[in-house]
Amino acid sequence: MSLALYAFLIPLVAIIAAPFVRGKGASYLSSIVFILSFIFILSDFITKSSFTLPLFNALEPIGKIYLLGDTISHAFGFTIAFVSAMVALYSYPYMKHRFEEMDLNPDVEFRKYWFLYNLYAASMLWLVYAGNLILLYIFLEISLIASFLLIYYYGYGNRVWVAILYFVWTNIAGVLALVGILLIGFENKTLALDSIAGVSMLAWTLIFIGMMVKLPGLGPHVWLPWAHAEAPTPVSALLSPLTVGLAAYILLRIYLIDPSFILTYRWEIFIYGVITSVVAGFGVFKQTDHKRLLAYSTISQMGYILIAFSLGTAGIVGVIIQYISHAFGKSILFMSAGAIIATYHGLRDLDKMSGLHEQVPTIANAALIGFMNLSGILTIGMIGEFFILKGLVDTYGLSLDTMLLVVFVFIISGLYSFYTMKRIYYGRVRDYEKAKVNRLLDTPLYLIGAISFLFILPPLATWFVDAILTFLGGGI
Amino acid sequence: MEFVIYSLLILAVSGALSMKNKYIGLAGALIASLLTAVNNPLLLMILVIAIINLASLDLMKGFLRGVDYTLVGLIFVATVYAFYSQSLAFLLGMFVVASVPTYMMVMASDTGMRVEVGIKYMTFMVIATVLFLIGAVLMVHASATSSLALYYIGFTMLIVGLAIEVGAGPFHEWVPDVFETADPIPISVIASIAKFVPFVVAFKIVSSTHMGDEVITLIGSILAVVSMLVGNIGALTSQKPARILAYSTVANMGYIIAALIVAVKEEFIYLAFAGAMLQLLTNSIGKIGFFIGIKEKAMPTVETYVLALSFIGLPPLMGFWSKLYILSSLVYANFIWVAVLLVLNSAMSVPYYVRLMKTFEGTKGYRKVAAYLITLTAVLMLLTVVPPNWIIESSKLLMSYLAIGGV
Repeated sequence: MSLALYAFLIPLVAIIAAPFVRGKGASYLSSIVFILSFIFILSDFITKSSFTLPLFNALEPIGKIYLLGDTISHAFGFTIAFVSAMVALYSYPYMKHRFEEMDLNPDVEFRKYWFLYNLYAASMLWLVYAGNLILLYIFLEISLIASFLLIYYYGYGNRVWVAILYFVWTNIAGVLALVGILLIGFENKTLALDSIAGVSMLAWTLIFIGMMVKLPGLGPHVWLPWAHAEAPTPVSALLSPLTVGLAAYILLRIYLIDPSFILTYRWEIFIYGVITSVVAGFGVFKQTDHKRLLAYSTISQMGYILIAFSLGTAGIVGVIIQYISHAFGKSILFMSAGAIIATYHGLRDLDKMSGLHEQVPTIANAALIGFMNLSGILTIGMIGEFFILKGLVDTYGLSLDTMLLVVFVFIISGLYSFYTMKRIYYGRVRDYEKAKVNRLLDTPLYLIGAISFLFILPPLATWFVDAILTFLGGGI
Repeated sequence: MEFVIYSLLILAVSGALSMKNKYIGLAGALIASLLTAVNNPLLLMILVIAIINLASLDLMKGFLRGVDYTLVGLIFVATVYAFYSQSLAFLLGMFVVASVPTYMMVMASDTGMRVEVGIKYMTFMVIATVLFLIGAVLMVHASATSSLALYYIGFTMLIVGLAIEVGAGPFHEWVPDVFETADPIPISVIASIAKFVPFVVAFKIVSSTHMGDEVITLIGSILAVVSMLVGNIGALTSQKPARILAYSTVANMGYIIAALIVAVKEEFIYLAFAGAMLQLLTNSIGKIGFFIGIKEKAMPTVETYVLALSFIGLPPLMGFWSKLYILSSLVYANFIWVAVLLVLNSAMSVPYYVRLMKTFEGTKGYRKVAAYLITLTAVLMLLTVVPPNWIIESSKLLMSYLAIGGV
């Protein structure tokens, strides 16, 4: 019996029990549950243990439904568990503020909120342990519906319209992938990950297009800035770091079975990733809404993942680490944006911000850590960028043009990160009064920041990279 | 099969006596239904739907005074025999038997008769029945004499008749009006149990006679896609719950006609049949729940969510599995473009189901019986949390009754 299996099951406790706990207790309970999950998964990760647990035998074309926990699942799993735990802590003061703003009764609303929040976080955690493509799809849809309802109830602006926009786009993404999945089932007579022999081009194409909507690539990304900007901040802090990146996880699973599509269209995917990253990166400079700005930066970061996909084994390591670093960085940043919203009652307009470091130094410094993660300075993002570059050299040799493209992408991330820092936290100090930030609004940010620093130091870094490399069969 | 005579006799006698006491009609309908019930999970589910229908009739001051029970019982008996019969004449007979009771039901209401609705509905139904019957006979005849042109004419008549009968686009003229103006409870019967027979009969005829596959699948798939689109666009632009549900029926019928075109591929027909039947079950259960809600002008919130999400096709609710099986059968049979359009349509359908949720969210004032029935429908939607192998197995069992053997 592997520990990660418990990690898979204990979120159920949070889903069932948290709605019945009043006040801060629910927040701590949810957080503790996901912290436990995190510890279990990390210990499994370090000991390189994996598990499979058969659940049910469905008829063809679905085949064996089972749970699968291997190194890749663990790598995504501990990220999801840790970020969910921290955002759970942060949720309490933020949502309390939000409910008061909406004239709702916090006691009643928190019940709904905790149920949906924990379901949302847990469904993402379950998704990475699904051993059957249909099971994976089911968890994908559950996470979609939970996040949809959260936006629908508690979002900002025209929340109903935004929620439906989000639901329709991501649902199209999901079902396109589903048709691809069914094609796989038709070809292989099963959808169990361990018995799929090959994936045809048509199936791959459908899944890839679906996931390009979800990831998102440039073009189908229209839903993302809306959804991320208008969602309540704790939901943004899960949606942007964790959910959209799960598209990468799904692609990764298919890639590990049959990389044919990616290898065939390697150059196109690479260029598409570069274009996505650069265009969205330039888009960041133009934004005047704090959360919309972060949403564009998400699209830009997802371009990294596309680039990394096209770069062979080292690139795949890059995908995993990029997911983790983006999750840590972006959750910090969304929470910092939310902390300013909660502290200054809805302050999101960048034109009205500057020099906030004076008023809210703790948040400003946390945001700095977040941006360091994005631009790959002194945090786990650094390892990710290293592997992307390594994959680049492995794939294209020492070709100057590809190198320049990738370095250009990295530089843009750094540029917009620090330009945004300057716009919000430095420069002319405005006459906002010095506010007392609720401890729960800034402590979780530093905890995530601490983890992202720890991952570039031994022993964590060596364990971590070593485990992934062992799983992917070495060769680096 | 010999029980059919007894069931019909019981129904006739109890229907006649129910003028004295309406519960005699209920007892007769139950006995007749249980007599015909067979050991097959799918038919048991249909029996459950029939029983919910019977129970929901209690929510209206039926002017039919118990005959309505008999009529529902009659539709159920016809449904069971349509599944098991292999004679063309009998099948077409059952088609009529399942359709005629609804003519009377649609006119029933709390305050007397609604003749204008009845006339509209009946006109369309009669046209549908005539087209369907002639088409079916032509198809059987054409496949015996292998004359392709005649077969195409027959198939077109059959599919148009089917589309009018069940209310698929672009022949859905009557659906929104009737659904909106008639009493919700009879509509919940028309939208649920009466929908099975036409499709079962059509499945049997198409699968046992098919020739010229490319043309007929093209006709069928175009009709299916048009129906989905018309239904979804209509529902998106409607405001009243009854109208939304009417158009959602049109869209759902499109999905099922899409499954019907797979009937030309011997090896995947079981999957298409399973998908179509599960989609019909989903449609029936959801429509019953919602129409009871419309009757009461209120619904329990959680149940509303479950029903609407099941219609959207959210796993692991029933609506997901039905679409999944239809999709897999389409993918297997290589109708990828229909599958993709179906997918896009199911995404399009999200906003109006959300609107339905919003309409009924937090409403109060329903009667106890209605609340029980709606809760029951929601629970049925949750049956498929465990993947529904039973539907595939029943479908495989029923495959041996698909071939039509003479008249």
